[in-house]
Amino acid sequence: MKHDLQQIIGNTLRWGVTIACTIAAIGGIIYLVRHGGEPMPDYTTFDYAKASAETDYTTLDGIWHGVLGGSGRSMIQMGVIALLLTPITRVVLSLFDFLQERDWLYSAITAVVLAIIISNSIGGF
Amino acid sequence: MTILTFTLIMLLAAYAAGLLGSLTGLGGGVVVIPVLTLCFGIDFHYAVGAALVASIATSSGSGSAYVKEGITNIRLGMFLEIATSIGAVLGAAVAIYLNNSVIAIIFGCVLILTGSMQFVKKEDHSGVKGSETARRLKLFGSWPQPDGTKQDYELRNVAGGFSVMTIAGMLSGILGIGSGVLKVIAMDNLMKVPFKVSTTTSNFMIGVTACASAVVYLQRGNIVPSIAFPVMIGVLGGALTGARLLKYLNVSLLRKIFAFAVFAVAANMIYMGFTGGFEH
Repeated sequence: MKHDLQQIIGNTLRWGVTIACTIAAIGGIIYLVRHGGEPMPDYTTFDYAKASAETDYTTLDGIWHGVLGGSGRSMIQMGVIALLLTPITRVVLSLFDFLQERDWLYSAITAVVLAIIISNSIGGF
Repeated sequence: MTILTFTLIMLLAAYAAGLLGSLTGLGGGVVVIPVLTLCFGIDFHYAVGAALVASIATSSGSGSAYVKEGITNIRLGMFLEIATSIGAVLGAAVAIYLNNSVIAIIFGCVLILTGSMQFVKKEDHSGVKGSETARRLKLFGSWPQPDGTKQDYELRNVAGGFSVMTIAGMLSGILGIGSGVLKVIAMDNLMKVPFKVSTTTSNFMIGVTACASAVVYLQRGNIVPSIAFPVMIGVLGGALTGARLLKYLNVSLLRKIFAFAVFAVAANMIYMGFTGGFEH
């Protein structure tokens, strides 16, 4: 049982990273073909108000609309989200496994970790 | 500079970062931040976002192998992730109020600590008598030896380890790096976990810790596609090559040489932080 969990977690991590990189690579190529010749955007100063207003890259809704519209940059962000989901999926799988083993202590510990991440991602800013 | 040129240079730099990060055990983020800020003059708030992406990619990419081999102590990792993820949330909240100079100085200090740890002799703890708290939390484990047998181990000082882990999480939330050095101090020096177990468990935890703050950084706009794309692909490629090379290379000399490079970058970061060199 324990051995199975190790294999599943190992595979989840590997597949998650592969999928995330594939999505980002496709988006990156689209982006380079369309905008590769343009000068670099200015990243020398960061402005919170301006940066978070780029909703095509900062909100789930915006990224999804961007992907449907064929935007390479939104697709890269989609890849980043897939990358973020990889460790989160790993935590969810561990939770199921602890529940199945009736290990209530570790089910609770895992649920707390999951709750912290989820509440922080909903809380946003 | 055109977007294409930047992407190609960044791909190479990120590949080197992933390679060095996995050979030295420091993770990709530690190299990505100086490249972006010192070489390209990019604001730290973008660099930290990129470092988070690099940390998650290396942790998940190289972590999969160790978990399968059964070296990682998943229970210990899960338990300490409560501390690191709370720390990461706090760190990400504090980061809004920090300017480039402050972040540079904190980063420089973590680098000095990281470099120094490369020279500390690693002793393998044997016959550690575990504490009652650790026993109740079912944190004891066993790990496979080269000869195929399994070695049992116990551990102690759960409260001390938990506190240092919270600080490690905070630094990760501010800097985007895995802060593996503090994780190893907590597990190896305080809790007396066997060295190989503490490094792999630390690496395993970095992904979740980075995730806890990355979900906020993405929504704030710190993670931008034109930087995230080359960083993610390059770092992962480098980390995978590194994991393969690690089997054939004796890295102890490389680690010592790299430690001096880390000191040089740290000095540069702290100097520029105090003289306002990063305020564009």
